[in-house]
Amino acid sequence: MKPPQNLVADVAEVLLTEEQLEAKVAELGERITADYAGRELTLVSVLKGSLPFMADLMRHISLPLRIDLMEVSSYGGTSTESSGLVRILKDLSAPIEGRDVLLVEDIIDTGLTLNYLLRYLNGKNPRSIKVCALLDKPARRLVEIPLDYVGFQIPDAFVVGYGLDFGEVYRNLRFVGVLRPEVYES
Amino acid sequence: MDPRERLPDGPGGTTGEATPPGPRSDSEFAHASEAEFARILDFYEVAWQYEPKVFPILWDLDGNVLESFAPDFFLPDLDVFVELTTLQQRLVRKKNRKVRRLRELYPGLRIKLFYARDFRALMLKYGRAALLSELSGASGQVLSHHESEGRFEPAGGRGVLDPPGNRESGVNPVAPASSPEPRPAREHRSRSARRRAGRRAASATAHAAP
Repeated sequence: MKPPQNLVADVAEVLLTEEQLEAKVAELGERITADYAGRELTLVSVLKGSLPFMADLMRHISLPLRIDLMEVSSYGGTSTESSGLVRILKDLSAPIEGRDVLLVEDIIDTGLTLNYLLRYLNGKNPRSIKVCALLDKPARRLVEIPLDYVGFQIPDAFVVGYGLDFGEVYRNLRFVGVLRPEVYES
Repeated sequence: MDPRERLPDGPGGTTGEATPPGPRSDSEFAHASEAEFARILDFYEVAWQYEPKVFPILWDLDGNVLESFAPDFFLPDLDVFVELTTLQQRLVRKKNRKVRRLRELYPGLRIKLFYARDFRALMLKYGRAALLSELSGASGQVLSHHESEGRFEPAGGRGVLDPPGNRESGVNPVAPASSPEPRPAREHRSRSARRRAGRRAASATAHAAP
């Protein structure tokens, strides 16, 4: 795929402006601060999409906190001759046993990745584990998982920006926008 | 009682156990999109069963099953059925009607309908958009429409009515336990397997000719 020259031009519509994102992240940070008052929190960011969200969110949480990063492989199709399973590409760097964990996700779509991650992290015996997702796209949800903190519910559209990519591009857009169909159909 | 406990098993499995992860050949499924969906579920370690139950959705006056519906997948850990509809709009409307009927008759049952656009979005998300033409619509079909519809022809041209229990009480949506019948077993064969079978049949005919 030829890298796009003008990222913004490939966006059909701005779904969430930079200002809207800032305000929502601040609001989520305040809620989390209140809910976890007096406790120490571990934020776990799921790479790569949630990185900008996590970076902004943690600065709106007024609690002693640790951060950690995880990355899991995404389905990319497997041959009919061999089976493929999700793999942890980057595991936590510190134990979470007995700790309050907040899993920070950019977007929840089918819920398959989140379902896998929660099962995996629960196996590490945290004191509690909750989910904070910037975007919730319920239209295609397969696995119903309660989301404790949600920034925005969005329509069924292919969105990029603020960490979300298409072909590893567009993550650095400051807003969340709907990608022009001709970009991914070409 | 869960109405599913009384229902006949479908061709995909009778033991109620999830299909173990493993290589998925398209020929195991009625449609290539289903094989791809099974691979996605395997990848994320979500247990599934393929067409494990057949739900009667229409009965005649005598309680004989006229029409039934077997959702493509059951995810036992999540207690949800999933039906994929990647075919043309005419068939999607039929499926929508069947799913509506299923929800009316079995209100406790959770079923998720995955439309062509949902499947397309999934493929896009996983960088598999190039395969969409192979996996969607008629080109991904292994069975003919008639085979995949699961419709029972009315016997003796009787009128089609709701199940007696449903009409009379408006409470019990399940027909008498004796009335639901398993639909004929579906044969899952790839197109190449069907071509081979056709060639064998043609060859047999040629040899049998005087």
